[in-house]
Amino acid sequence: MSVTNYIPADTTPQNSSNGQRPNFSHPVEAAFARILDYYGIEWQYEPRTFPLEWDDQIRILEAFSPDFYLPQQDLYIELTTLRSGLTTKKNRKIRRMQALYPEINIKLFKRREMRDLMVKYGLDQEAEAFAGDAAQHDETQQSTP
Amino acid sequence: MTEIQFAANPELAEDISEVLLTSGQIQDRVKQLGEQISADYAGRNPILVGVLKGVLFFMADLLRAIHIPVEVDFMAVASYSSEARDKGLVRLVKDLETPIAGRDVLFIEDMVDTGLTLNYLLKILRMRDPASLEVCTLFSKNKLRLIDFKCKYTGFDLPDRFVVGYGLDHRERYRNLPFVGLLKPQVLKNRGPE
Repeated sequence: MSVTNYIPADTTPQNSSNGQRPNFSHPVEAAFARILDYYGIEWQYEPRTFPLEWDDQIRILEAFSPDFYLPQQDLYIELTTLRSGLTTKKNRKIRRMQALYPEINIKLFKRREMRDLMVKYGLDQEAEAFAGDAAQHDETQQSTP
Repeated sequence: MTEIQFAANPELAEDISEVLLTSGQIQDRVKQLGEQISADYAGRNPILVGVLKGVLFFMADLLRAIHIPVEVDFMAVASYSSEARDKGLVRLVKDLETPIAGRDVLFIEDMVDTGLTLNYLLKILRMRDPASLEVCTLFSKNKLRLIDFKCKYTGFDLPDRFVVGYGLDHRERYRNLPFVGLLKPQVLKNRGPE
């Protein structure tokens, strides 16, 4: 089944170009946005929510909002600070999304990849978040439903 | 382990937990790339453009593996330091000295991961109307790619790990290791100035 509909998360997508800064749910997301800004890459924060499960009445039971969308690359980015053992639910959602929306490009940045990215860009404080409890939010605390 | 034990710079090498690519493997691949580039660009006098600083080692070895006439030039961009961040956008801190309009340009990179820096530099180079513009990278990390590129030449696809050596650094250290290796986890965790 291929589903092309989506739910706009907000009527006004939050991005860097209109001067609005979204309320990021994790400092690492803010750091990621600043890196994109630095390199002049246009981005939107959680601009779409993709339904994943429906009941018999076609009411949405489960949905997924990737963290970032890069319009020029037509690419969705999901960042995770969760340890690998805690990402099962998120991985399942992404697999489900890829099955339902095969035309959508999405990339998951895992915890270690995020840490390496922060180290690469000299963001020691943000990288440190991956060593302590701050990186171990329960999935229900994340921005994605 | 031999590479680590007999490295000319043991103080740096002792921070390495595993060698992923030996100097011999790197040199063999660089020679292959040099042969390929020599064949593809024969009679075209290309300009090889590198972005400082990580590309120094690869550029030096690649140039010597190419047996056709070539020119070389370098660019540099402000790294994503706290000072640069405060100034806003990425900017060139060293531009080319050679005009490239109508020339065959081969952009040489040590590593392409997110592609953010490469994307910025290729935009600048494209605006200068080169006859052709291709990319040669020694190392590639596709898992981190944010900007999609076609690299005409790729030396090695690297795993999703933080690697150093042969130009790749961690806080400006380890570039001068002749091999590519993984940093010990405790080295990555250590913060602050060296």
